[in-house]
Amino acid sequence: MTDSSPSAANVRSGSTLENVTAVVAANFTNALPYILVPVLFILSLIFIPGYFSKLSIISLLILASLLGLASLGQTMTIIAGGIDLSIPAVIGLSDIIVTQLYYKHWPLPVILLAIAGLAIVIGTISAVSSVLLHVHSLITSFGMSLVVSGVALEWSNGAVNGAVPGWLTNSVSAIGHTGPIPIPAIIIVWAVAAVLAVAFQRLTRVGRETYALGANPVAARLANVRSTWTLVVAFSISALCAAMVGVFFAGYSGIPDPTVGVPYFFLTITAVLIGGTSLLGGRGGYQRTVMGALIVAELTTLLVGVGFNASFQELALGILVIALTSTYGRELKVAAKI
Amino acid sequence: MSSVDEASRLVIEGLSRSFGETRALNSATLRVCPSEIHSLVGENGSGKSTLIKILSGVLRPDSGTLIWEGEVKQLTSPRSAQGMGVATVFQETLIVPEMTVRDNIYLGTDRLFRYGHRKGEEIAGARQALTDLGLDGLDLDQPMWTLSLAERQLTTVARAIIRPWRLLVLDEATSALDAQQRDRLFDYLRLARSQGKSILFTSHRMDEVLGLADRITVLRQGATVATMGASEASRRGILGHMSGREAHADADVVAETTPRHNGEQQHSSQPRPVLRVEELTLRAAAKPISVDVRAGEILGLAGLEGQGQVGFVECLCGLRRPVDGRVLALGDGGQSHTVRSYRGANRLGIRYVPRDRRYEGLFGPLSVFDNFAITLWSDLSRFGLLKRRQARKSFAAFAASSRLVSASPRRPISILSGGNQQKVLLGRWIAMRPRVLVVNDPLRGVDHNTKEELYGLFRRLADDGVAIIFLSTEIAELLTLTDQIAVFHEGSLVAVLPTEMSSDTDVVAAMFGDDKRHGGADD
Repeated sequence: MTDSSPSAANVRSGSTLENVTAVVAANFTNALPYILVPVLFILSLIFIPGYFSKLSIISLLILASLLGLASLGQTMTIIAGGIDLSIPAVIGLSDIIVTQLYYKHWPLPVILLAIAGLAIVIGTISAVSSVLLHVHSLITSFGMSLVVSGVALEWSNGAVNGAVPGWLTNSVSAIGHTGPIPIPAIIIVWAVAAVLAVAFQRLTRVGRETYALGANPVAARLANVRSTWTLVVAFSISALCAAMVGVFFAGYSGIPDPTVGVPYFFLTITAVLIGGTSLLGGRGGYQRTVMGALIVAELTTLLVGVGFNASFQELALGILVIALTSTYGRELKVAAKI
Repeated sequence: MSSVDEASRLVIEGLSRSFGETRALNSATLRVCPSEIHSLVGENGSGKSTLIKILSGVLRPDSGTLIWEGEVKQLTSPRSAQGMGVATVFQETLIVPEMTVRDNIYLGTDRLFRYGHRKGEEIAGARQALTDLGLDGLDLDQPMWTLSLAERQLTTVARAIIRPWRLLVLDEATSALDAQQRDRLFDYLRLARSQGKSILFTSHRMDEVLGLADRITVLRQGATVATMGASEASRRGILGHMSGREAHADADVVAETTPRHNGEQQHSSQPRPVLRVEELTLRAAAKPISVDVRAGEILGLAGLEGQGQVGFVECLCGLRRPVDGRVLALGDGGQSHTVRSYRGANRLGIRYVPRDRRYEGLFGPLSVFDNFAITLWSDLSRFGLLKRRQARKSFAAFAASSRLVSASPRRPISILSGGNQQKVLLGRWIAMRPRVLVVNDPLRGVDHNTKEELYGLFRRLADDGVAIIFLSTEIAELLTLTDQIAVFHEGSLVAVLPTEMSSDTDVVAAMFGDDKRHGGADD
């Protein structure tokens, strides 16, 4: 025999002045990433002499594209309540496969299909093992990461020669063209991918189920959300995006390098968090991660431009992550109060 | 009673405590004497557990005085209550499964840097306590999870009695015990009484209350309505006090404003059964349950906490496998399908609205519309793409019919009131046209007006031919809304009462295993 316990039911909507200011504050922190992108750009214009040129803007966008693409799937896995730690390993493996197989004169479409197939397998294993073993995807994707990078290192052992098609190099070069358009292909790929990703999240069943699963896995099960399928899709997209970034990286350098993705371990999570997608799951969206990737690229460029070294860049990013996510946290509390 | 004052070990007066809008205790009084076994009885939500939590220092009262052996005391923590001489065994069996029996018994007695006791003393003390309770054979070093539920429960009693106590509080501490274990425990309690100690206990078995207690205090809606000597008390008298038969106020007012579902009309046409429960056994040794639920019927489920009604509901919607027996969904053409899984039940049109809105129902960060539409997408999508326009239409229709109060369907659902959140969770399944709707205590924490609206919503659904299985902890609510009330006791269905011919005393009596049709107590 229990007494009826207090429930969270006495939250009521009201419209006192206090609540209005709370709503304004919540909206402001929501809009913060969208404000920071132009602000940082203007700061760069002010502090870096001669920054306003097509070349420097395109360089900035290439940097943001690589990060933005790598963070696309990460956004999905985090919204689903998981996280993908295998992104750097998949980038590395994909880089090795392209450079090695193209060097051995495999036809490019076959190579790309093989990489895509492998990525889907990797993503599916991370997701399914997380469901079957009842462990967080943090663990399974980390295990997957060790396996994949082991394979990549073994494969590349001693290999210093590699080759990539010229157009691939062109696609990530600041002076590259996409057909007649004087913009390198990666930026256009990113733009298209971003539109598709946002549409996927908003307009597809599995996209909506990703949010439900991340927001409340117990309720998701009771509402007949396809939990396993949703995770498989999110992690497969994540691995596919990482593989794509690996291919672009191969174009960048042309030589095999299994460690090329290592910085993306934290950078993808940084871009997702700065954009305002919550690690708690169920909140955010890829449009926000696009802003997050732009902010990271701009901040890095700005700090390099004014002469700070790499360690200072990390420090600045760290502060930004903490500062921004703490305001997002506040926004949630405020929202709960109204 | 003033003469009792000086002799009283414990005097509680004017004790009140609220949780938000809910007044759990409303000026309750209680007196417990030395050498007394005192029973505290009342329905679900009458305030027993709250009173016990205050008495053991877990909760603080809003107002009221507590006099312990002539001194006014403020209990600020469980430790202060223990220091005073109150030992409590809570309803929930609080154990650490991975730790040994001995460590569980001495849990919480350790100092910061060293053990509170020597190992030898500990073993002897634990052994003595377990022997007192009839668990002589128990290995003190085995991990707690290897014990049966009854042994675990007795171990928590042992934890209480190894401390120097003068008042032992048992909150439903016998629920898992068999008759022999119970008798052994009662022998110990009587022995303790003869040594001048006091015992305060709650129980869901009327025979225990009448057989063990010297005096009985009845709580109703947070207030003490009667204290009587066990010799002068009768079952009916106690049940009458608990349900407030004389007062009746609340139930009648509700019944007047919202006329009950017309049972006559239902029965004259005798609609087909849509759900059949066959020989369903919820736990070992419990009587199997067989019952039919007809289209358009609202079947209420009642029972004290933990009597199997929740397990029954979970079996109906495939969330739990019964020990034995089965649940059949009956189709229009006479075909029947066994419910084997939650998904399977859903395919058969059995939809479930869970008890805990926040943890089992709501997607807090998502919008009102998303919370509503999540179940619709399986029907309203093509090649994975959503048919949003149809879902919006469906939402608009639902919002209008349920009088949903929401600024905008795009706002997060967390800003809605509890009642409106519940409407959305119901709407999620109503839009899927259920054949059977299983609702697990849906109106907890919902304000009065919204409750009325939801009653109307359930009635309209039933009129449309939906079978509704409605578990509630509030008897007045069951009497207002349902056609029949199925009452659970100790894992079995003990009575199915036609609502229009039943009073809340009848329901309470059945809840305590005291159904008149079955001729008295259960054992």
